Amino acid sequence: MNWLYSTAALCLLSAIVAGLLRILRGPTAADSMLAAQLFGTCGVAILLLLSKGLDWLVLQDIALVFALLAALAAVAFALRTWGGTER
Amino acid sequence: MAFLHNLGTICILIGIPFFVSGTIGLLRFPDIYTRLHALTKADNVGLGFVVLGLALQAEQWNTVARLLLIWLLVLVASSASCHLVARAALRKKIQPWSRS
Amino acid sequence: MPGKFSCISFPSTILLGRLLVRLLLFSVLWCVLAGLDWQNWIIGLPTILAATFCSLLFAPQQPCPVSFLGLLRFIPFFVNLSFWGGCDVMRRALSPAMPMNPGLVRYQVSLPEVPQQVLLINCISLLPGTISADFHEQCITIHTIDRDMPVWSTVHHLERRVAALFGIRVAGGRP
Repeated sequence: MNWLYSTAALCLLSAIVAGLLRILRGPTAADSMLAAQLFGTCGVAILLLLSKGLDWLVLQDIALVFALLAALAAVAFALRTWGGTER
Repeated sequence: MAFLHNLGTICILIGIPFFVSGTIGLLRFPDIYTRLHALTKADNVGLGFVVLGLALQAEQWNTVARLLLIWLLVLVASSASCHLVARAALRKKIQPWSRS
Repeated sequence: MPGKFSCISFPSTILLGRLLVRLLLFSVLWCVLAGLDWQNWIIGLPTILAATFCSLLFAPQQPCPVSFLGLLRFIPFFVNLSFWGGCDVMRRALSPAMPMNPGLVRYQVSLPEVPQQVLLINCISLLPGTISADFHEQCITIHTIDRDMPVWSTVHHLERRVAALFGIRVAGGRP
């Protein structure tokens, strides 16, 4: 695998891991949700880089599903779990 | 072809700092609203650069189209969920942090 | 609009036009997702037909017409602004003093229809220094990261661009 893609993916992975600290610190549930959103965007970028680096096109489709799921998770969180007083 | 490949490499390398600064903002910023700023904007620009770089290096047209589709989806999803989270926070009467 | 299955009541020529447009759109989407290999169409064709049927069933109304020239002008404008939005956040996050002066701002929307307002609200979150925090009775509550930034004029500029995208004009409004 080309150094560029692996190094870039590693940087993004460490960005995610650092972002997970926000889950520990809180203070509200929404702050933890932001870390999950970070997982969404960063995860998509990592998968795209790996798909290029490993020449494995299926990972692009996984990235697509990842993006969809991150969106649904955030919407469900904001409308039902956390802000679920109305409706 | 080599030129496009190098240009793509540069774009990917530009994208990484945006992701990193998004995470730093997420950790440093004082309240939920400012953290939303950091996450939504920085990560989308970072992903934009990574997608642009990979698209410049792509060999087939439909890889390019798929990359753009993914970026567009993430763009719409993250701005919509940013709005929803901020709205839920406001309706829970969470006061924005202010300097004074 | 859920629960409003009124596609039968449209004149058949209009319906046929919409059907063809959506059929083409979903076919292109399928090509992008699955590639051009003709064997894919064994699954692809039923999927496309089902997707077209569902979209006509649940959203028979054509969304607001987008002007093509407006779109061509809107994309670079938007990409440029969201790039500066990212740079702005990066600067604030990385500088040791962390310069910011957050606050809430209200903005009165004059765009008439829902799709345009939704586009505006989503774009505001990617602009430098602003996220849209609430939307109620034509009024957007914007959280700005720096109250010294010209929020109102930026958003107003964006609103005019969105209006141009849909081929309409908006009034001047007030700050």
